[in-house]
Amino acid sequence: MSSDESIEKTVKETTAGLIQYSPEGLVPFGPVHPALKEPEYFKIILEGEKIVQIIPRIGYAHRGIERATQDRTWVQAIYLVERICGICSFAHSLGFVQTVESLTEYEVPRRARYIRLLIAEMERIHSHLLWLGLVGYWTGFDTLFMWIWRDRERVLDLIEMITGNRVHKSYATITGVRRDLPENIERHVQSAMKYLSERVVFYKEIVNTEATILTRTKGVGWISPDVAIRLCPVGPLLRCMGFKRDVRVDDPYAAYDEIVPEVKTSTDSDILSLLNLRLEEIEDSIRMILDAITAIPPGPVKTTVPRTIPKGDAMGHVEAPRGELFYFVRSDGGNKPTRVKIRTPTLANILTATEMLKGHTLADVPVVLTGMDPCFGCMDRLTVIDLDEGKEWQINGEQLRRYGIEWYKNNKRE
Amino acid sequence: MISWIFQLLVFPGLTFFVWIAFAFEWLERKTAAKIQSRVGPLTAGPKGFLQPVADYFKLILKEEIIPRYSDRFVFLYGPPLYFSVPAIGAVFIPVLGETGVLSHTYDLLFILFILSFSVLMASILGYAASGRYAIISIGRLILQYTSYEVPLILSILAPALLAKSLSISKIVASQTSIWYIFYAPISFAVFLIVSLAELEKPPFDIPSAKTEIVAGWMTEFSGRALAYIKLTKNLNYVFLSALATTLFLGGPTLPMTIQEDFIMSFASLLVFLAKTFGVGFLIFVIKSALARIKIEQATSLLWTITTPLSFLQLLIITVFR
Amino acid sequence: MRRKLGIAIPEMIKTAFNTTITKSYPFRELEVSERFRGKLDIDPDKCTGCGVCAIVCPASVITMIDLGKRKVGDREVPIRRPLFNLYNCISCGQCVDDCRFNALRLTKEFELAVSDKNSLIMKKAIEHVS
Repeated sequence: MSSDESIEKTVKETTAGLIQYSPEGLVPFGPVHPALKEPEYFKIILEGEKIVQIIPRIGYAHRGIERATQDRTWVQAIYLVERICGICSFAHSLGFVQTVESLTEYEVPRRARYIRLLIAEMERIHSHLLWLGLVGYWTGFDTLFMWIWRDRERVLDLIEMITGNRVHKSYATITGVRRDLPENIERHVQSAMKYLSERVVFYKEIVNTEATILTRTKGVGWISPDVAIRLCPVGPLLRCMGFKRDVRVDDPYAAYDEIVPEVKTSTDSDILSLLNLRLEEIEDSIRMILDAITAIPPGPVKTTVPRTIPKGDAMGHVEAPRGELFYFVRSDGGNKPTRVKIRTPTLANILTATEMLKGHTLADVPVVLTGMDPCFGCMDRLTVIDLDEGKEWQINGEQLRRYGIEWYKNNKRE
Repeated sequence: MISWIFQLLVFPGLTFFVWIAFAFEWLERKTAAKIQSRVGPLTAGPKGFLQPVADYFKLILKEEIIPRYSDRFVFLYGPPLYFSVPAIGAVFIPVLGETGVLSHTYDLLFILFILSFSVLMASILGYAASGRYAIISIGRLILQYTSYEVPLILSILAPALLAKSLSISKIVASQTSIWYIFYAPISFAVFLIVSLAELEKPPFDIPSAKTEIVAGWMTEFSGRALAYIKLTKNLNYVFLSALATTLFLGGPTLPMTIQEDFIMSFASLLVFLAKTFGVGFLIFVIKSALARIKIEQATSLLWTITTPLSFLQLLIITVFR
Repeated sequence: MRRKLGIAIPEMIKTAFNTTITKSYPFRELEVSERFRGKLDIDPDKCTGCGVCAIVCPASVITMIDLGKRKVGDREVPIRRPLFNLYNCISCGQCVDDCRFNALRLTKEFELAVSDKNSLIMKKAIEHVS
């Protein structure tokens, strides 16, 4: 069937749920599985070892964060939003803060923009190193996993020296960052970056010449770019197909107009090119950090933090380590947000990843499904599916509340 | 009679090999940790030496959860039977002299039967658990077994051809002048590759691939059954290393020595331990440097590379002897 | 590049002879950086009971307790002091940033696992007044 019909079939089957299959052919991948960091359920329908269909079902890590931001003030909402995900925590808080700042008339000082770039690039290095180590774990290569995570500790120590914590940094605030860099940080940054750049060269050599890794990743998960672009992937998954799109270059924020990243692409769209692409992005981030730490201008790091935000709607996007992270914020002039909507990159990538797996075997599932670097904690949505009628729809907060009241009225529990 | 039972059960029989199995696991975990800049087991016993024993006792004390649709009899009484397979094989290995505790004129054939029987027992255990993951894992296990069986038999036959006999004691006795690894190096290499496949270690980790099918045929086991299975895996590791030293490295003999008195027996015990740990270490180094490959690549590797190589080695031996 | 097998082995041998990077944490103290955000601490002399910390806390850790009244000129003003339920504290430091009198600070203590939740309720400011 042509690529159009194949995509229609994927989308319809994914949302409606089920195709006809025999019970022995169904392998449940998740929700709790050693290959997934966070719980999601993938129904894999097998014929022998060959995959016929993969159907994702999401919603296992849904916490209602978008609703919870409506009960907190603007500054308190930053702490909530940065806890959506541990690996892209600063990207979430930066996206929220920049969107809110576009509603006000305060300007972020130049020093604060450079510091934001510094922390964002350090987080990118940390996230890519985490994923690379996990590729070693998913293919059974435990030694590589432990080595890469040992090197990741250098970046985490740097982040702890600057922000006070390794994961939930609590560093960005409206109109700047909360406190200045400590003294003598330049020495630590330069020694850590020097160590990391030597290690990245070594890992590039391992990944490209080790025969067992090459057989697992070369040519695996190939997808034609014309088919994939209709399913709207973002981030490194998009760049490995040859499209040069990066939010930091197309729509610069923080200090990216002065320290310009180099967008790397690759033309084969398999997992080996994703490995090489992320390693090259680490090298680029190291270059940007070294440039920023020497060129950082003096000055204040924040202006006054406002208590109320003027009325209006705002949209903003940042480049998280996984792709384009999109925020929508609505304010009605008060001290609490009225509506915050977050669209994370994994939500855009998940259908492309399941499309990449058609025709492969069960052994490729961990490597390809996690090739998009999933962060299911960020992405969850709540969808109601009615299997008998084949319909699906979304419900909003008011309907959910009324449904809950009705249910408890009718089914009294002791 | 009493001394024979003592030899069979305690030393150098069953208990001795079980302790060596625990020591192998400790060595494996400690070296893996050193290679990865970590520390490994630390507090249980001196330098963590009793950690595998502690794990074994912890598992015995835990509750066994038996799935509803499983075969209850095989689930509960299968693992001790699976444990007995390498245990019976281990008493044939000569430790203190030229013969093991039990020996027979054709005991090499019995060893081959034991090696194939352990795969059969693993499949029966997986079938008893009857989960989705176990069924996929058994398919992979049997496919991998049919691929490595031929190179295994051929590489074990090479020392038998060189010694012109099928008895282990004869094979050890005729290695007093020079070890067979120098006459049949290709067979030794093939035997190492095939023992990686038998022990389910990377790159042939496929039947119990942790991130694809959780734990394969071992998924549903817990408590005492899992303790037996883990001990059996370690015992298999010891058994194959000891088999490699017996067949290719001369067993407990050094070149040109005779074992007659007590000191020589003690020395031959130390030599045996050194060689077995050396082979185990070699297997371990290969295992930790490679990733896992897929089942179709494993079958093609085993059929197209190891089988012709072992044939080649047998041809060389028949031509030059 | 050409395919090789076991390319990691030389690095493995080199790493096996270097020291480990494991910090033996329960047996030795763990050093954290200068800016580490651990448990909250209050200096009761500087606290005036303004209540800003209770308003800005994102985790609703701080409640203001009424402790009586005092006279200021000819007005009666209530005396309030904060009660900290440190079980919920996320150590974000927002109260530290917003306190005008520099009464709060985040220490470097992070071992906060207790068997009794009530032992993590900090009443230092209240006890200082009464």
